[in-house]
Amino acid sequence: MSQTISRPALSRLVDAWISAGHMVGGPVRVKSLSQDRWGLAHFAESSEQNVPVPLSRRGFGLGSKDDLVQYRPLTAAGDLLLEGFIRPANSIKEFLFPRHEKLYGYRIAGKQIELTEAPLLEREQILVGARPCDAASLPILDHVFHWDCEDVFYSRRRQRTTIVTLACRNHDEHCFCTSVGLAPDAPQGSDAMLFDLGNGEYDVRLLTEKGRRLFEGQTQSSDSEGKADPGPERTVDVEAIRHFLDNGFDNPAWRQSALRCLGCGACAYGCPTCHCFDIADEGNAAGGWRVRNWDTCQAAMFTMHASGHNPRPMQVQRQRQRIFHKYRVYPEKFGVVACTGCGNCTRSCPVGLGVRTVLEALQPEQTS
Amino acid sequence: MMILQQLRHLCRRLLEDGEVQVVIGYGQSRPDAPAYPIFITRADDVDRLVWSDRCFANLTAYLTRKEIRALGKPAIIVKGCDERALVVLENESQIERSEIVVIGVACEGVGLPKCAACDVRMPRTTNMVVGEIDNPDVPATDRYAALDAFMARSPADRMAYWQAELSRCVKCYACRQVCPLCYCQRCIVDKNRPTAIDTSASLKGNFAWHITRAFHLAARCVGCGECTRACPAGIDLMLLNLATARAAENSFGYRPGMDPEAEPVVGSYRERDQEAFIR
Repeated sequence: MSQTISRPALSRLVDAWISAGHMVGGPVRVKSLSQDRWGLAHFAESSEQNVPVPLSRRGFGLGSKDDLVQYRPLTAAGDLLLEGFIRPANSIKEFLFPRHEKLYGYRIAGKQIELTEAPLLEREQILVGARPCDAASLPILDHVFHWDCEDVFYSRRRQRTTIVTLACRNHDEHCFCTSVGLAPDAPQGSDAMLFDLGNGEYDVRLLTEKGRRLFEGQTQSSDSEGKADPGPERTVDVEAIRHFLDNGFDNPAWRQSALRCLGCGACAYGCPTCHCFDIADEGNAAGGWRVRNWDTCQAAMFTMHASGHNPRPMQVQRQRQRIFHKYRVYPEKFGVVACTGCGNCTRSCPVGLGVRTVLEALQPEQTS
Repeated sequence: MMILQQLRHLCRRLLEDGEVQVVIGYGQSRPDAPAYPIFITRADDVDRLVWSDRCFANLTAYLTRKEIRALGKPAIIVKGCDERALVVLENESQIERSEIVVIGVACEGVGLPKCAACDVRMPRTTNMVVGEIDNPDVPATDRYAALDAFMARSPADRMAYWQAELSRCVKCYACRQVCPLCYCQRCIVDKNRPTAIDTSASLKGNFAWHITRAFHLAARCVGCGECTRACPAGIDLMLLNLATARAAENSFGYRPGMDPEAEPVVGSYRERDQEAFIR
């Protein structure tokens, strides 16, 4: 026996959550650009644009972005997009570790310095229609944000957030979740998971107490059981990569794949597990805020010392760092690979690079 | 196909003769996939080169990168639109044309909106051109059509548009990194002693960044549109540059990169200039 909910009932539930004052987020078609990316006539409101576009043309940094789907706060259930795309171009980490966050405020008057605490999240957050490769990033991120000290900003958001994932029904050539031990219906990080039954109903699997509370009394018993996409074929051997990284720091193969990297942060900022940040003061002599902002190891300034010395002056070192951190440093420290195989890095990259493309380029080196 | 054979033949000769050490061109993982930049250093690898209407990238951004410079003298494959960036880079003393072999490719368009207004289908200043085009310089639309459509809206509407668009910017700086003319050793947004522009991807920080960048590209931007193509948040940054491009054309009759002999609007002055700050 399974529990199901119809799409209209789900929409009513989403609207009820919004009415109750919760922050509800999910995939939204931000822009439909299928006709003319530079012509403004085609920029339509997301709720009016529920037309699926061909999967092969969608959201690829190298080509034209016909369609932009992102996780965004929902203003109404009508915004929620649950099919017709592979996955949003951003990740749900924005709701737990925002790109820009105030840590505390300061005011200076004479010799008096007054500090004010930044407000912590009060509202409950519910993320609906998240991809399993997004949800799986949260148990991974928990390690680093609860490591040597507890990051109160992250953990407050984590406590107040309930994740309702939607098992994937398709994948594209950039997906590689199966290579990192996940799957289109991997339960890691999900409080509840929906399976599209294809008849306007969703099979609801309740995985945690939080998830159960959310759907209590909202589902119906049914015989239909949802099934996810089998997922992409495994193309990357994580163990072989670990083995290669143990001795491959100076392997010349890094250079070849890094040549075309332009050093932007599109890969890191769309990544569900990248979590580096920089701390800055913004304000003036009288007062302001200490803030933290996303940062990326791909930027030349990332490791720049105050002395002017930069331990990673070349892009090849920065790209190697990204792979090492995800596939060797993080597993060594926390026992888990810091990559969910979502493929967002490759989809966002203006020159078609990404974790998977780099790993595949290194593959001959791993076996030799 | 003819173009591709000529291209590969030419590059093979350049590498075999030792005239260049690297060819900056396009490669592809499969025929209909978007092409990506590749760097060929051995004559035997020239068959990895492709040419198709999916060669979107403007490769000239690589010419000023130290990793690529370290490879030796380059040959670079450019479309007519990309070539304009070369002209500006030379005007601004960033490259030495004699140190680069420039291979132009006749281009029928790569399906981007900019292609409809293209009047540079045949490269004009390259060392050699591969391919031919029947009707090279007849644009189908006005090059400022998108700007006209935008400016027809009310100021409040336009402000709302930019607020919505720029609110999505995460400051990944893909726009800067793909831009051939964003070659500053240290970008103003990376200067932190003191900070000139908020590093935060807040609406204020995002406006400050994109407006500053647009001004730094005024009368320099060649309209290759790489910023718009690269933006992972789907922000049409090229629209900002179109506005400054039209101002440069209307006020000074200047289009960056069109005429190597034309005096750049930014970076040239006369003693009789009226503005006092110049003297």
